[in-house]
Amino acid sequence: AGGGGGRSFSFKVVLLGEGCVGKTSLVLRYCENKFNDKHITTLQASFLTKKLNIGGKRVNLAIWDTAGQERFHALGPIYYRDSNGAILVYDITDEDSFQKVKNWVKELRKMLGNEICLCIVGNKIDLEKERHVSVQEAETYAESVGAKHYHTSAKQNKGIEELFLDLCKRMIETAQVDERARGNGSSQSGTARRGVQIIDDEPQVQSSGGCCSSG
Amino acid sequence: MSLKSERRGIHVDQSELLCKKGCGYYGNPAWQGFCSKCWREEYHKARQKQIQEDWELAERLQREEEEAYASSQGTQGAQSLTFSKFEEKKTNEKSRKVTTVKKFFGASSRAGTKKEVQEAKAPSPSIHRQASIETDRVSKEFIEFLKTYHKPGQEIYKQCKIFLDAMHHKRELSIEEQSECAQDFYQNVAEKLQIRWKVSPEKLEKAMDQIEKYIMTRLYKYVFCPETTEDEKKDLAVQKRIRALHWVTPQMLCVPVNEDIPEVSDMVVKAITDIIEMDSKRVPHDKLACITKCSNHIFNAIKITRNEPASADDFLQTLIYIVLKGNPPRLQSNIQYITRFCNPSRLMSGEDGYYFTNLCCAVAFIEKLDAQSLNLSNEDFDRYMSGQTSPKKQEPESWSPDVCIGVKQMYKNLDLLSQLNERQEIIVSEAKKLERDLIDWTDGIAKEVQDIVEKYPLEIKPKNPPLAAIDSENVENDRLPPPLQPQVYAG
Repeated sequence: AGGGGGRSFSFKVVLLGEGCVGKTSLVLRYCENKFNDKHITTLQASFLTKKLNIGGKRVNLAIWDTAGQERFHALGPIYYRDSNGAILVYDITDEDSFQKVKNWVKELRKMLGNEICLCIVGNKIDLEKERHVSVQEAETYAESVGAKHYHTSAKQNKGIEELFLDLCKRMIETAQVDERARGNGSSQSGTARRGVQIIDDEPQVQSSGGCCSSG
Repeated sequence: MSLKSERRGIHVDQSELLCKKGCGYYGNPAWQGFCSKCWREEYHKARQKQIQEDWELAERLQREEEEAYASSQGTQGAQSLTFSKFEEKKTNEKSRKVTTVKKFFGASSRAGTKKEVQEAKAPSPSIHRQASIETDRVSKEFIEFLKTYHKPGQEIYKQCKIFLDAMHHKRELSIEEQSECAQDFYQNVAEKLQIRWKVSPEKLEKAMDQIEKYIMTRLYKYVFCPETTEDEKKDLAVQKRIRALHWVTPQMLCVPVNEDIPEVSDMVVKAITDIIEMDSKRVPHDKLACITKCSNHIFNAIKITRNEPASADDFLQTLIYIVLKGNPPRLQSNIQYITRFCNPSRLMSGEDGYYFTNLCCAVAFIEKLDAQSLNLSNEDFDRYMSGQTSPKKQEPESWSPDVCIGVKQMYKNLDLLSQLNERQEIIVSEAKKLERDLIDWTDGIAKEVQDIVEKYPLEIKPKNPPLAAIDSENVENDRLPPPLQPQVYAG
């Protein structure tokens, strides 16, 4: 659902990934700039919003955390329906969590096609010494599925800002391409009509009423 | 409407304005000439009677069924009896409603456009009347609201009227097609507001909420749980499923909420109330608000227990638990209704949408729940499901699972009181001992003093002569060396 008007967008982004890869820390760091903090005021970290301004375009970002436990895996489609972007998080010290990401990618591509912008995120780079997923492997994989790869540390606040900014830019692009493909006529004719507002009013009313009852 | 116009004549007797019951307050035609208080009483009486009748009928049906069943199969387990009773009652209720209300209108709808009038005169009573009062109230509010939008406001009202008329003729269509119409309508209106009238996003959202409220209050009775769908069947299936899962404990779901903390159990109760309340709302948006309220209570419960913000896992687990505990009525119907008729922009991206999605997830999880999802062995799961054993019976406390919380709490409190009593007794006996000790001690001291006094009786001797200089007795003073003199050193 790219926003209307051309200048303001609202995007839905889902966070996917296994239980303890740090999804919650990642969003809390991004939206509250806090990590494991006793002073976190927000009641929950499952649904967070962020307003951005990217090159004059207003973006409302709604970040949906998803339940990552294995037993909830089947519920994925209910969560990621209609989302514009997906952030797939794995823990660089946990090979298994990277495998899970691969499964998610397959599923997302199958269900949503190329409409959705994918980000693969290796979190916990502050634990570089215990790395079990090679940078090479992860990046090659990401490229092969048309996703972007990022390295982040929620603990040290590394790479997170870039991740979300990049994702937003890509989603705006996708939305604009989409808009053009659907025929950009609607918004332009809207602005053109502004001048002759009142005279144009009456016939418009009836036609729209008719369109309503017919469809 | 017609009632009102009749009474708008010139000759209005004072007594006609007063409450029919003669309590002295003014009556109101909308309340059949009663004042608000008397009307409530009347209405309550009528309702009670209705409930009583329904109950009697249900009981009679159940008795009949029991007899029929007993004669065909002999005795039956107590539990399944209660199930069938409930279901019987529910289907019975529904079919009654259908025969008395819906079928009546169903027949009349072919008669044409006078339907609205017939509705107002419907014989079946107070509930209907209430609904139409609410509809009127919503209409008035809507018109008031639109006045703040000036010209677009008039336009919106016209569009809504046209839409409602169109929907009236589409009642025979499938619910999916009707839903499509509603969604198209929302989209058209929203686009118009945005593009033609340049309404700001905040104002647009408000207007869309009001439009939804207005049209859905009117459409509710035709499109909520319509007879043409399986919704009701699914409702019953979910209800039954949840009842069959009564043995699931918070531990199995890993619910991050500790109900032993009074504030937390308070929050849990509130969350359950909210989710049950959802069914009573007519507007999709209001239903969503109930889910959001419920979610916030859940977050509070988690926050109090764990003192950290809840993640999606925490939230979903707790929501599943709340749904299992609350068994909200007509869950599927409500979800379907919201999905079909809620303003899509709210459902897709907003906070409400997120909580609603989680509720859908919770229901999907409950429907598919198996041994693995609770970390149980298949044997255990089957045994619990068949009601052979209950995991709660293995707990140290021998409470049966259905003892109510109040009774449990009472026993806990009694326990505490008896402990307190014991401690009190100990304190009293200690205090007495202390008192005795104190008395003994005073006596002892007195005795000792007495002894000493006796041993060393007080004798008063004559006063000694005054002493001379302190060192007068030092005989050898003269032989001491002279005191040291201070010496001055040069430099």
